[in-house]
Amino acid sequence: MTDYEMIRNILSFSFFAGGMIFLFLGMLGLLRLPDVYNRLHATTKIGILGAFGVMLGIVMKVGFNSMGIKAITVGMFLMLTAPMAAHMMSRAAHRHGVGLCKESIVDEYGQSYYKDQEKE
Amino acid sequence: MNIGILQVAMVFMALAMIPCMYRILVGPTILDRVVGLDAMTTVMVVMLGVYSFVHESVFFLDVALVLSIISFLGTVAISKYLDEGVVF
Amino acid sequence: MKKLFVYSIDLGIVWCFVSGNISIINFLFGAIISYLLLRPLRALYDNITDDSLEVLILKIPSLMRYFMKLAIEILKASIAVAKIIIQPTINIKPGIISVPIRAKTDLGITTLSNTITLTPGTLTVDVSDDRSILYVHCIDIDDADEIRESIREELEDYVLEAFE
Repeated sequence: MTDYEMIRNILSFSFFAGGMIFLFLGMLGLLRLPDVYNRLHATTKIGILGAFGVMLGIVMKVGFNSMGIKAITVGMFLMLTAPMAAHMMSRAAHRHGVGLCKESIVDEYGQSYYKDQEKE
Repeated sequence: MNIGILQVAMVFMALAMIPCMYRILVGPTILDRVVGLDAMTTVMVVMLGVYSFVHESVFFLDVALVLSIISFLGTVAISKYLDEGVVF
Repeated sequence: MKKLFVYSIDLGIVWCFVSGNISIINFLFGAIISYLLLRPLRALYDNITDDSLEVLILKIPSLMRYFMKLAIEILKASIAVAKIIIQPTINIKPGIISVPIRAKTDLGITTLSNTITLTPGTLTVDVSDDRSILYVHCIDIDDADEIRESIREELEDYVLEAFE
């Protein structure tokens, strides 16, 4: 019984620490990457994995009582809504006139968009 | 031991919040500020998760759920306003 | 009428998760409240056509396969982006490419674009007006055709199988 408890504690703590390290790396990417679109890559993917890891750590510690169910709900909600928020932000950035950084090699969305404007 | 975990985790998350603050204050375009705000809310949700993990209390998870809902709606509203000029 | 019951049951399950108490009484409470709330708002979802309950139940194995694939891809994606971030000098070639898709319905296109956003190095920017092309921002383009191929072959098959 104590072995089982200890294994569960170690597993939940490692999920917890891993989630926080991934979240920190994502925020570091927010600082280092060159333009809005690349920063969205960092915050969306890594931030969501970090938050979900922390919530899984909570579930592993307390089991499926009311606290665990709420934690898994928060994680699922973040995982469902983050891609939509990222899509809205990147589309608004492109239409608002935020250009891509100078390392970029291709922009097929901008080409189609300007073609539409010329037709009108 | 639990209080030690809480303090280390909170300091770590506060360090993770510094880049978001930098993007909100400095960010060259307005969309950088929106991305910074969105990321900061994710960090706050994780902070609330840490707090309820250490204290084994369920109430902070309710706060986390409501905070993530408000963050999603706010981001969508600001992006739609910047995109089309109207929200609804 | 049948649609109303299906939505009520879905919202009852969501209520169970949000209130943190999974039991029959709590589920019935949520389902009845959502039925009473949905009844006057029927005009909003009357024009949506969806599958019957039997088709939904038959799709459960392919849904499970899709979620397994999604979990593996999210883990790979985070490790790939974290590798880029912790390099001493950031050396990337970003850009926006167009990807032709086969999904037709609203649900299929939404799921596909969310899946693309959560997988390695790609982020959906927009869908074209005739719904046949997704514009995808990639963080590191070595070969644009290879990325298009991987989206078509690896992701879209699972999404089409599970959601259309």
